[in-house]
Amino acid sequence: MKNKLKSTSIFLLFISFFVIFYYALQSDTKNNTQIMVGSKLPNIQLSSLFNPAQKISLPSTENENFYLINIWSSWCVPCRDEHPFLVKLKNDNQIKIFGINYKDKTSNALDFLSKLGDPFYYVGVDSDGSKSIEIGGYGVPETYVINSDGIIVFKHVGPINITTYEKIVAVIK
Amino acid sequence: MKNLLFLLIIFFLYQQDSFALPSQDREVKIYKNIRCLACQGQTLNDSNSDFANDLKKVIKRKLDNNETDQQIYSYLTARYGDWILFNPPVKQSTLLLWFFPVFILVIGLLILYKRTVFGKSKLS
Repeated sequence: MKNKLKSTSIFLLFISFFVIFYYALQSDTKNNTQIMVGSKLPNIQLSSLFNPAQKISLPSTENENFYLINIWSSWCVPCRDEHPFLVKLKNDNQIKIFGINYKDKTSNALDFLSKLGDPFYYVGVDSDGSKSIEIGGYGVPETYVINSDGIIVFKHVGPINITTYEKIVAVIK
Repeated sequence: MKNLLFLLIIFFLYQQDSFALPSQDREVKIYKNIRCLACQGQTLNDSNSDFANDLKKVIKRKLDNNETDQQIYSYLTARYGDWILFNPPVKQSTLLLWFFPVFILVIGLLILYKRTVFGKSKLS
């Protein structure tokens, strides 16, 4: 009787271990870059790249259905790759794109825009990376779609490619 | 029993950061509990990546503004999730993670106690 109780307890213990570890393996233990999606965009103030005296605040108070925020830098190679998609997004969808120029030299940033085109409605400067962190950014490039309530409805970490472009278009349509 | 007690004391002392790292200040302590999300398994304290350096500056500013550790952790988890913390907060989904090892330790100690006490009584 005592042995039976012992083996039953060991068996139950084994089963509970199995269930616990199975559950633990199923749970998401990786970094989730989409945490901010569905949340309100935190308030940030940006000084203009073209005129440092001019400042704006995000979320935008202008009456827009959707607008984009793109974190970019002239020294970032993937930013060059995604730039034509930003230009296309602006031209084909008439969407406002707010750029956040991340830890860049002003002259290089201006040169980048004059050579590759300027799809931005406004470019703000993030000289120390704190503005990007405020909105949950990881680095460059990164893109957010914000709705009229200031809610982040889409976030993409990394360069925009054709698949991401189509996803963004589907969100803003 | 004496050896067991000695091992337990060593174990609990090791768990206390203040004993293990006497010179550690609050800033470094926080950095050590934060995962550098742009690196491979490094703490913020160990990393010199752009992301880590930016985050250190933001945390430093918050410390200078007299924000509590909890406020800083809340700020970070709201933006990057619990994954950014090496010590996840105690909440419903992490109860098992926090208390299961304690439960196993208690079971182990009970078994050990039962064996040593009963073993002694059998011998005498």
